[in-house]
Amino acid sequence: MKRGLKWETMLRSKLFWAVVAEILILLVGFIIRPDFLNIQLRTLSDGSRVLYGTPVDILNRAAEITIIAMGMTLVIALGGTDISVGALVAVSGAIALKFLRWDVLEYTTPGDYTVKPFFYALAVPLAVCTLMGLFNGSLIAKLKIQPIIATLILMVAGRGIAQIVTNGKQFTTQYSPFKFIGNGSVLGIPFPIIITLVVVLIMILFVRKTSYGMFVEAVGINPNASRVSGLRSGVIIMIAYIITGLLSGVSGLIYASRISSNDSNNAGLGYEMDAILAVVIGGTSMTGGKFTLVGTMVGSIIIRTITTLVLYFGIVSEAIMAFKALIIAGVIVLQSEPVRRAIARRRERRHMNMGGELHA
Amino acid sequence: MPEIRTSPLKRLFKPNYLMVYATLGIFLLIYLFGAIMYGGIGFTSLRTFLLLFSDNAYIGISAVGMTMVLITGGIDLSVGAVASLTGMIIAYGTTVMGLHPLVCIAFSLVVGVGLGLLMGACIQYLNVPPFITTLTGMFFARGVTSLISRESISIKHEMIDALAGIKLYMKWPNEAGEWVRIRPVASIDLNTMVFLLMIILGAIILQKTRFGRNVYAIGGSVQSATLMGLPVARTKVLVYGFNGLCSVLAGIAYVLYVKSGWNLALSGAELDVISSCVIGGVMLSGGVGYMGGTLLGVLLKATIPAIITFNGAMNSWWAKIFTGVLLLLFIVIQRAVVASSTRVRKTESSVQK
Repeated sequence: MKRGLKWETMLRSKLFWAVVAEILILLVGFIIRPDFLNIQLRTLSDGSRVLYGTPVDILNRAAEITIIAMGMTLVIALGGTDISVGALVAVSGAIALKFLRWDVLEYTTPGDYTVKPFFYALAVPLAVCTLMGLFNGSLIAKLKIQPIIATLILMVAGRGIAQIVTNGKQFTTQYSPFKFIGNGSVLGIPFPIIITLVVVLIMILFVRKTSYGMFVEAVGINPNASRVSGLRSGVIIMIAYIITGLLSGVSGLIYASRISSNDSNNAGLGYEMDAILAVVIGGTSMTGGKFTLVGTMVGSIIIRTITTLVLYFGIVSEAIMAFKALIIAGVIVLQSEPVRRAIARRRERRHMNMGGELHA
Repeated sequence: MPEIRTSPLKRLFKPNYLMVYATLGIFLLIYLFGAIMYGGIGFTSLRTFLLLFSDNAYIGISAVGMTMVLITGGIDLSVGAVASLTGMIIAYGTTVMGLHPLVCIAFSLVVGVGLGLLMGACIQYLNVPPFITTLTGMFFARGVTSLISRESISIKHEMIDALAGIKLYMKWPNEAGEWVRIRPVASIDLNTMVFLLMIILGAIILQKTRFGRNVYAIGGSVQSATLMGLPVARTKVLVYGFNGLCSVLAGIAYVLYVKSGWNLALSGAELDVISSCVIGGVMLSGGVGYMGGTLLGVLLKATIPAIITFNGAMNSWWAKIFTGVLLLLFIVIQRAVVASSTRVRKTESSVQK
């Protein structure tokens, strides 16, 4: 009896289905290319050892979306969306490169140096992105503007700002501490994975060890009830958008470091969509309420696995979207309320039938 | 129950229209600014004004369908991708496969409207949020476009050239009483005509048909509409189908404009379309919006890049920032309007007590 109940809750949980989906996709990869799941320790030319293999690559490349999606989870749990994150990624990279290569000084070749102190290239982009998050949050919490439109403003204007910061130029840098963020590794683990784990850990501690997570769920489930019971929903909403802004900035630094450059047109392009999908696939409902940060991480990894798998097929990268769409459509249909209810009902009926036989 | 009559003047100043007036006012202000600054170099010419229409016809045509979707309280992010897919089908069909453009257009109509209906059904029957459903639709359409071809395919066909060549020249009588083309030459092309026709058609559907009233009712409150016995499911699915039709028409207009198909064409166009609607006073929360407002929204959004082009010295990226500022302005006005109208309603109801 108890066992049955446990199964029931598992089958109803969206996180369970997300994990099942990820395992299925990995299995498909394994069947097509048996070396899909191989991991090996390789020694680089400078003697350092790095983990190497598709699973590591998936986790590494999922870093940008996973980090943004942590903030997005809170935003979506509050019943909102933030579509400005992709533009903030571009802004963050542009400002960082602006400090690494101040355009007043024209160097002929990029070398292992920075023009302004390295601290500026980290702190200023993060501060600006946090402020932009604050801007989004105030529009939504104070002026009560719909989240999609409020964040549409920065989505449209953000890339313009990024272009104007660098005066439309694309800078490159070879400064090694900056390159380390996206390309380095610690104890064989690529640094972006470590950043991701630290961010996820801090976020989980923040929402579960303080009452913030509970407040978010309360406001997400019923804003009016939580306001009447004395919650300052405005502050809670603002914090979620500020966190998302800051994390977009972190993600922007990783992206800029990976390509050692700023790319205001393409940096973070479509990240808002990927981050929202990661959250939804992970099991947080778009209508707000309960959320799961671990689920979001799984969702983000699913998206990256699909991309990697399709690249393995040797299919053109732009066409990945079609496959992404098909798989996501499958996951969404499986998770949709009527379908889940139908599956649960079917199990219940079978349960009842079995019970009837026993009684007879 | 006696029929409630309001004077025409009162009807003209309905708070619902306030947003449209705000759009009109700001459009006139910005146009006036352009006229004062760059009137000398042709900003005020009829040619420039008509170019605002023909350069943005594909955005406008798509905005007609989007307005309806937004009024029901939904959103459709797939419009740019579907339009791009249409362009690719026409380009690949005529240039590579040698089919007649009409066959390709018919095929893309089936694809676009079918995808729209499918997404509508997903939203209605599977309860998947419109944002996620249409996002998936966007990925799918974009991906299929890339599968067809990754390179830009140019279109060379007499029919496409003929359609793109249709122009209605603006004329006026000279001293001798003959009708001659005005200088600088100004003309209305097919895209502009389709754009204006679609706006009129959309306005008629919204204001004069039962379907249109259902659209507004659903946007006001889905529960009330269901309880009133209105065909909520059918209306919602059809709205997304109609939007699919508009996306395909937008794609055809784009093909006539650039005469090629490209898998990355019109990326981000969905946001241009949505922001045009928002600037035109359509509320994303549903229930409020007019085709006239959307028309003004498209024009207003088109005027900003035009002014920056006339300025010449400014970085074209400022257009994005100004559009952002404009969006912010309109959203704040919308908030103020909603706040004041609820206050009016409250005082009215307290007076009645």
